[in-house]
Parts: sequence; C-alpha cells; structure tokens
Amino acid sequence: MLKIDNLKVSLEEEEKQIIKGLSLTINSGEVHAIMGPNGSGKSTLSSVLAGKAGYTVDSGKVNFDETDLFETEVEERAALGIFMAFQYPIEIPGVGNMNFLRTALNSQRKTRGQEELNAADFLKLVREIAKDLEISDEMMRRPVNVGASGGEKKRNEILQMCLLEPRFVILDETDSGLDVDAMKLVSKGVNKFSSSSRSFLVITHYQRLLNYIVPDFVHIMVDGKIVKTGDKNLALHVEETGYKDFL
Amino acid sequence: MNHVNSSDWYNSLRKEFEEKSLSIEKVNRRSEYWRKSNLDILEDFVQDTSQLDLLDLNGTCLYEPDLIINGDILELVGQKSDQVVSIIDVIADEESFAKNYFGRLEEKSQKLIPRPLARDNTLDPKVGYVLSFSDSSEKPLIIHNKTNTSASNLFQRNLMIVDKDVEVTIIETGNNLSVFNTVTEIYLGENAKLNYLDLTGENNIFPKISHKFCDLAEKSSFNHFGLRLNTKATRTEIELHLNGQGINTSVANVSLLNKKSHYSDENVLINHNAYECKSRQVFKSVLENDCTSIVRGKIYVASEAQKTDGYQSSRSLLLNESSKFLCKPELEIYADDVICSHGSTSSSLDRDSLFYLLSRGVHKNKAKEMLITAFISEALDEIEDESIKSALSNYIDIWISSFSDE
Ligand SMILES: Nc1ncnc2c1ncn2[C@@H]1O[C@H](COP(=O)(O)OP(=O)(O)OP(=O)(O)O)[C@@H](O)[C@H]1O
Ligand SMILES: [Mg+2]
Repeated sequence: MLKIDNLKVSLEEEEKQIIKGLSLTINSGEVHAIMGPNGSGKSTLSSVLAGKAGYTVDSGKVNFDETDLFETEVEERAALGIFMAFQYPIEIPGVGNMNFLRTALNSQRKTRGQEELNAADFLKLVREIAKDLEISDEMMRRPVNVGASGGEKKRNEILQMCLLEPRFVILDETDSGLDVDAMKLVSKGVNKFSSSSRSFLVITHYQRLLNYIVPDFVHIMVDGKIVKTGDKNLALHVEETGYKDFL
Repeated sequence: MNHVNSSDWYNSLRKEFEEKSLSIEKVNRRSEYWRKSNLDILEDFVQDTSQLDLLDLNGTCLYEPDLIINGDILELVGQKSDQVVSIIDVIADEESFAKNYFGRLEEKSQKLIPRPLARDNTLDPKVGYVLSFSDSSEKPLIIHNKTNTSASNLFQRNLMIVDKDVEVTIIETGNNLSVFNTVTEIYLGENAKLNYLDLTGENNIFPKISHKFCDLAEKSSFNHFGLRLNTKATRTEIELHLNGQGINTSVANVSLLNKKSHYSDENVLINHNAYECKSRQVFKSVLENDCTSIVRGKIYVASEAQKTDGYQSSRSLLLNESSKFLCKPELEIYADDVICSHGSTSSSLDRDSLFYLLSRGVHKNKAKEMLITAFISEALDEIEDESIKSALSNYIDIWISSFSDE
C-alpha cells in the first residue's frame, strides 16, 4: 500500500536534513509502530506523507499504491485515503466543526466521483461516531477544536478518521494527553475501524498503547532513519532500557 | 446666490456655512483624517461605462425596495414610515420642523475632524429624504439608490428622526453611476434604536462617500453595518454623539476587495459624552490585487463619561503582498473610570489552518473560502437580527466562492 524508498527530506527554510534515508513498506491490513527519541523526525515523516509545505525532498520516492505521492496535492492524498491524526491538532476559530466535517467528507466524495451525503444522513453518521467516542453535542457545535482540551482534540481527530474512512492512517502520538479511559476509548475506535484493507502507522512514546493497538512491526527511528525493526516485543524492550542501545 | 425655491431659513444657514466652507486640498495637507486617503476618488474620476449593461446594475438586492431614489426622484413603494418627505421640499418650506435639525449635526461634526465633502453637500443638496419614525416596524425599510449617468456629482441629503422607544431597521443598497456624496443626519430619541445596514457592491462603480452623523439620547442604540463587496471606492464618515446614560452602539464593516486597486476608507468617531455608555467597532478587510483599506476609528471620552466601555478591533487578511491595510486607532480619554481597548492586526491566510483543512480533503478554493468566512464572522456577528444576518451571510458566502475562484 505504502512504499517509502530511501527518503531524504530537509527543511525548506534552513539547510537541515531531518529524514536521512528512510525506507519502509506497509502492506494492506498491517499495523506498524514507530518509536524514537524526541526530535528524531517522526512528525516530520508524517507531515511529509500528508503533504505539508515547508519541506524539500532531497531524494527518494514514496508510492501510495501506484501513485507517486510527491506528484499529488494534499487534498488529493486525503481523497486517496491518507489520513494523519495530528500530534497537535489546530484550532480554527470561526469555522464550525459540523460544517468542517461535512465539507471535508463531501469534498472527498466529490473528488472520488461519489455522490455527496445529504444533511440528515451526515448528521446521523456523525452523531453515532461522536457517541462512541463520548464527544458531547456541545463540543460538536463549537468551532474546530476551539476551547477543547488536549484529550478532546485527540478524540476529535479519531472522530474525523472514523467519518472519513481512510485506508492509510498515521496516528502521531494520539495517545499523548489522553487519560486511561480515553485511551481505551480511542483504541476501541481504532480497532473497530481496522480491517484487512486498512493500514496504520502508529507513532508513540509509550508501549502501553501497543497493548491495545497491537502492531505487526515495531520500528525504532533515530536521527531520521529506521535503525531497528522488530515485532511487538521490541516496544517492550525499549520501555525497559530506553534508546541507548540504538544510538 | 440663493438656492432655487429655498426658504429663508435654509438660505441664511447656507450663507453662514458657505463662509466657513472648507477646501479639500487644504484639509488634505493638514488632517490625519485625509492625509493617506486617495483623493482621486473624489475628483477626476474617470470610468469607462460603455461596456456595462446599466440595467444590470441593481446592487446588493437581498430585498425588494420600499423607497427607491431614482436620480432625483423619490418613489415610495408601500407605506413603511409615517412620513417621507423630499429634502428639496423641506428646504423650500418656511415652516418645516426640519429647520431645527438640518445642518446641525454636520456643523457639530466639523469640530474634531474637517469634513469638507459634508460641507459641500450641505451647500448644494440635490436629492434626499426626511424620514420620521413614530412607530416601530418589524420589517426593515429598504432604501434603494439608483443613480443615472447624467448626474455628474450627486449630493444626497437625508434626515432621520426616530422617536422615543421606537425601533427601526434600514437597509440601504443600490448602485451609483456617478460620484455619490451622501450626508445623513440622524436623531435618536430616548430608548430608540436604529439598525442601519449600508450595503455596497460591484454596482457602485463610482466613488461613494457616505456621512452619518448621529445624536443619541439616553438608552438609545445605533448599530451600523457596512459591506463593501468589491466596491470601486468608498469613503465612510460616521460620527456619533452619545449624549445620555446607557447608550449602546456598534459600528462594523466588512470590506472584501480583490479587483484591481479598489479602495475602502472607513472613518469613525465615537464621542462618549455621558455616563455608562458602550461602543463597539469591528472592522474586517480581506484584500488582494493592489486594493487598499483604511480604517481610522477614534474613541473620545469626555470627563463626565465615567464607566465608558469602548472596544475597537480592526483586522485585515492580506491575500497577496500588493494590498495595503492602513489602520489608525485613536483614544482620547478624559475620564478615569473607563474600559477602552483597541487592537489591530494584518496577516495572511494561516498556513497551518489551511493545511489542516486540505489534509482532510477540503478543496483548496473551498478551504480558502472557509477561512475568509471565518475571518469576517466577528463583524457579521455585530448584526443583531438573525434573519438579516443569515441572509447576508449566505449572500456573502456565495459571493466569496466567486471571489476565491478568480
Ligand atoms: N518547521 C521546522 N522548523 C525548524 N525545525 C524543525 C521544523 N520541523 C521540524 N524541525 C526539527 O526537526 C527535528 C525533528 O522534528 P520532529 O517534530 O519530526 O520530531 P519528532 O520525532 O516528532 O519528535 P517528538 O517525539 O518530540 O514529537 C527536530 O529537531 C525539530 O526541531
Ligand atoms: Mg512528533
């Protein structure tokens, strides 16, 4: 599904390479976890996959199915089924959450040549998802993320994921800031959502999350590269000894 | 020279005012309120109208008009106000009640800020109306200006009297196919309320200069909302005199300009002369393509105006680097127990917000529209009437979708 081939990425503003030759293949139905010290480039990798501006691709390729990602606009990537749950979700004052969600969903459907969802069907769908994630009506009526707590914002990201039904999901530290109950709730949401045709890239600092969302592969990322790949036991090892073995 | 068919009172007022008349050129060099303004909008304005279908130039027609001002002809459709009299009849009438009002607020408004164009208007009104309201009306009164190409420099002069406890809403729309200079003197009685919406659009293809001078009695309320949707050039001068306790006012403006070198110039002076009054000013400008928006908002607080609450916010969204937002907030305060704040910002579209929307699949133009709509919403929220607000929001949203497509 996703094939990253020897990717090197620098910041556009300064001459600083962040991703320094990273390769990773993720097949349909797989769950991959990435762990790594602060500043190793995990969020940069997610941002580049989602299409954020401000980076220069020095070399390497990323293919999503047959599509060359770097030839694809941000909104087209979303319509292809790529979704990144932000480490720090943005607040957008003045843009109503419901209006945003409905516009996003229908824009994607339009891009894919599907019919738009009418207001009633949309409302029903969104309410169901919000209920599962215990997101209140009041929260849904607010402008996007405005006044939401850290944990509420993270739940909102998962709501968007469930609504937009992407095929490839990046969870960038979705567990940070969540209390124990919320983490179970979010994991339940993710597990309910996962299927043999969907793949996940889960970025986390805590092995705990991986008890709920069980990875097929765990990668350790240090200084812009994957330095070790293993199964879920690698996460347990990191939890105990830290990253000193990999530096 | 006496005005044709005018009364003695008007002639003597005119004579007195003429002696104190102001020249725009002199004023321009001295006054902060003119220095950065583009005076081309006032003189030598050349516009090719040969390509236009003049019949198409209706204006922001959200509603059917009640009062149509067609050139110099006043035409009242339906019975909306108790009394509509042509200003030309009024200044010809020796016994008109208006003689106690006409020109008084214009004169007062010259005290802190020179207003030469308002003075020109007083000396030579060509058209206009006197509206007096002694009963509230549920529905807004729609005033539709239609100017024709023949008038070279149209001076419209209006007078509005809103009686005690009366609430009215006026929506002014229409076009102008010549330079259009309008002065409206407004008197609000105790606990009276006037909501005034001044809507201009692409059909105002010549400069429009509007003055509104308003005297407010205690507990009255004046809410003004201006809309500039690619209006060629506007200069607005609003001066309010808050003369009694517990007055509430709001002046808001939205300028959306992306046609080459379009221009909006908003000038507001709020005089807090009494105890415990509240005033709000909210300006939002979205600019592209060498457009300019000027905002000068001043709050004056006299020493007896304790417990004044004055708020002013002017913000612009610059969609490209060639546009200009010039903002001059001013506070002049002689009372000690007041809350006054002002803030002004200029920024481009927020990249992170844009990325967030795009990353969820929202198309680029739509995302831009959503952020523009969000940006102006604070100003639209100043409109109290929900049905007018939503009609106007919808109208603007549709308009913005063509705005961001270009
Ligand atoms: N826009 C930017 N401007 C300057 N430096 C940046 C920018 N984006 C990333 N960096 C730098 O790139 C490096 C990698 O950052 P990144 O956010 O990808 O790390 P991370 O692995 O996600 O860290 P964390 O675990 O703390 O979330 C850091 O040194 C960071 O300071
Ligand atoms: Mg990170």
